[in-house]
Amino acid sequence: MANTRRTTKKGTADQANEAMFAGSMPVLSELTPFQILAPDGKPVREDLIPDLDIVEEMYRQMSRLRHLDDKFMLLYKSQKLGNYAQFGGQEASQIGSAMALDQKLDFMAPMYRNTAAMITHGWSMKQAIMYWRGHPEGWRIPNDLNILPIIISIPGQIVHAAGVAMGLQMQKTGGIAMTYIGEGGTSQGDFHIGVNFAAARKAPAVFIIENNGWAISVPRKVQSGVDHLMRRAEGYGIPGYLVDGNDILAVHTVAKKAVQDARDGKGPSLIEQMTYRVRPHTTGDDPKAYRDENADPKFWAEQRDPIARVRQFLTDEKRWNEDREVAMMTEITQEFQAALDAADATPAPDPKALLEYVFVNPPQQILEQQEILAQRILEVNT
Amino acid sequence: MSQETKQMTMAAAITDAMDIMLEQDPKVVIYGEDVGNLGGVYRITTGLQKKHGEDRVFDSPLTESGIIGTAIGAGAVGMRPVVELQFGGFMMPAFDQIFSHVSRYRYRSRGRYNVPMVVRFPVGGGTGLLEQHADSPEAHLAHLPGIKIAYPSNPYDAKGLLISAIEDDDPVFFFETIVRYRDPKIRMDVPTGYYNIPLGKARIARQGKDITIIGYGGMMQNIEMAAEAAASAGIECEVIDLRTIVPLDIETILESVSKTGRVIIVHEASKTAGVGAEIATQIIEKAFYELEAPIERVCGFDTMPSPFNSLNHLSRPEAHHIAAAIQKVLSA
Repeated sequence: MANTRRTTKKGTADQANEAMFAGSMPVLSELTPFQILAPDGKPVREDLIPDLDIVEEMYRQMSRLRHLDDKFMLLYKSQKLGNYAQFGGQEASQIGSAMALDQKLDFMAPMYRNTAAMITHGWSMKQAIMYWRGHPEGWRIPNDLNILPIIISIPGQIVHAAGVAMGLQMQKTGGIAMTYIGEGGTSQGDFHIGVNFAAARKAPAVFIIENNGWAISVPRKVQSGVDHLMRRAEGYGIPGYLVDGNDILAVHTVAKKAVQDARDGKGPSLIEQMTYRVRPHTTGDDPKAYRDENADPKFWAEQRDPIARVRQFLTDEKRWNEDREVAMMTEITQEFQAALDAADATPAPDPKALLEYVFVNPPQQILEQQEILAQRILEVNT
Repeated sequence: MSQETKQMTMAAAITDAMDIMLEQDPKVVIYGEDVGNLGGVYRITTGLQKKHGEDRVFDSPLTESGIIGTAIGAGAVGMRPVVELQFGGFMMPAFDQIFSHVSRYRYRSRGRYNVPMVVRFPVGGGTGLLEQHADSPEAHLAHLPGIKIAYPSNPYDAKGLLISAIEDDDPVFFFETIVRYRDPKIRMDVPTGYYNIPLGKARIARQGKDITIIGYGGMMQNIEMAAEAAASAGIECEVIDLRTIVPLDIETILESVSKTGRVIIVHEASKTAGVGAEIATQIIEKAFYELEAPIERVCGFDTMPSPFNSLNHLSRPEAHHIAAAIQKVLSA
């Protein structure tokens, strides 16, 4: 991807860049994140604007999942959801990349913040609600869904994705593996191990760093002395891309290229998507304890919102208006409510699930403990 | 089952098992450090790459966490990885993958993704090698739910157990005692074709009525020497070779204890919170009133492998240590 120097109505590219890197970044760099739509919704690469139907689909998907993220916070506050890792503000980064996948062929190896990516790859809203409630039917991964289990102790998923890619390569399925990690997770050894392993074997994988500036309270600059984490790609001998992670067109374009390269046997890519964790680390976190919510978070929420950018573009293209917005939001609200109703209507979990699926062929001690569990269930129920 | 047999060392029997499974199941792949061209540091995969090709048997980057972590992923999408670690003591860089993922992946997906991997590695001292070339980390693994542990003591068992391990849909960690790989004393006739030995079925290595001695892996030979010596003094030891630590064949143990009332547990790994502690506790829980003497453990000291094993011969249980324990338990 070429780096694009540009001038916008609101100032020079360097000023925009400076704003984008404000606060949490270690140093300014000569690299400019790849961009197709400027934050004000104006195309900077007319030649790369896809069919407007696709842009509209992206807009709808981002709006749909922003609504879910908002609702999940409210459900948490009313104790109807567990401690949930919000993605709000990172919709472009997750949805734009996940839309580059083929749901039948390709596997996703998610971490805890990837609810938006997962739903885009076919996870149902109902199941997402149940997962974040701790309902065993929420963890169950349906056979037709090519998503690996959500990883809480990052970055194990990076190595799993390398292994999935190897497995798909060996079986010549044509599929690829896509995985995500935050910028903090790149400091772990398994990040290096997984990317290096996949690169050494030219395995069809796409590694995405969602650089949202924060690992709970620890800013990006603490994680590494390098200006851009994607520069590590050179050390693995694979392509590295720096992308404006809040520009869904840019994210999608780069992800599509990386996916196609992987499918074509050219090996893995490393993509760093510059975004920002506008919301708390999880619903249990209070960022006021460690950052000024009126500074960067406010700037990113108001000036760099990934949804507002596309809405402006579609409006400018006469593709969108207030009536369509109202109609869409009605649909979205109804859809989420239906998923919530379905989740609420799901019977409480059978506590037997506690000792199920530990082994395919459980040894004696599991069978003994299953008997004790059955007894405890009986006691609770009587 | 083929009736044809051949004299095999433990090393040859393990190679044979992998050869058969590579032939039989196209999903089986073997990888690890040096396992391709070289045939592994102990030459256990010798000839397999040449015979089955570089797509089936290949060298990996030098990363235990990468070897085991990728085996999770490859297994999740249908492969059956049989991976090698150079030494049991080199497992710890992979311990996050083992603890957080190998053990939990099936549970975490409610059965969508099995972890059908086998992880093979050489263990135990008595070799004069460097530090971390003499560990035996079975207790670290036995504490983790979702993982099976096989620890064979002879060529016949090694082949049959490894074939079962490769066919098993759960992850199996396969311990190979270094000093037994080519020990001529345990060379034996092994069927040349396919056969398996179920995981979780202990072997009565010797029948007796006076005392039960429980062990596994490379220690079995020392136990049998002690039992042989005891027999000449008129003491009849019942010797149980566990073959697998998970699943643990507690029924065979309890049956023996009900007969003898006296128990010795032997392992090379350090004593505290070792596998012996678990076995002893289960016996106490389930057969306390059958016991006629306190249970005795003969185990390694709670220390490290010394460089080049210069001191560890005083730690590894030898036949005469076991013989002393027999005297102690019988006179209790």
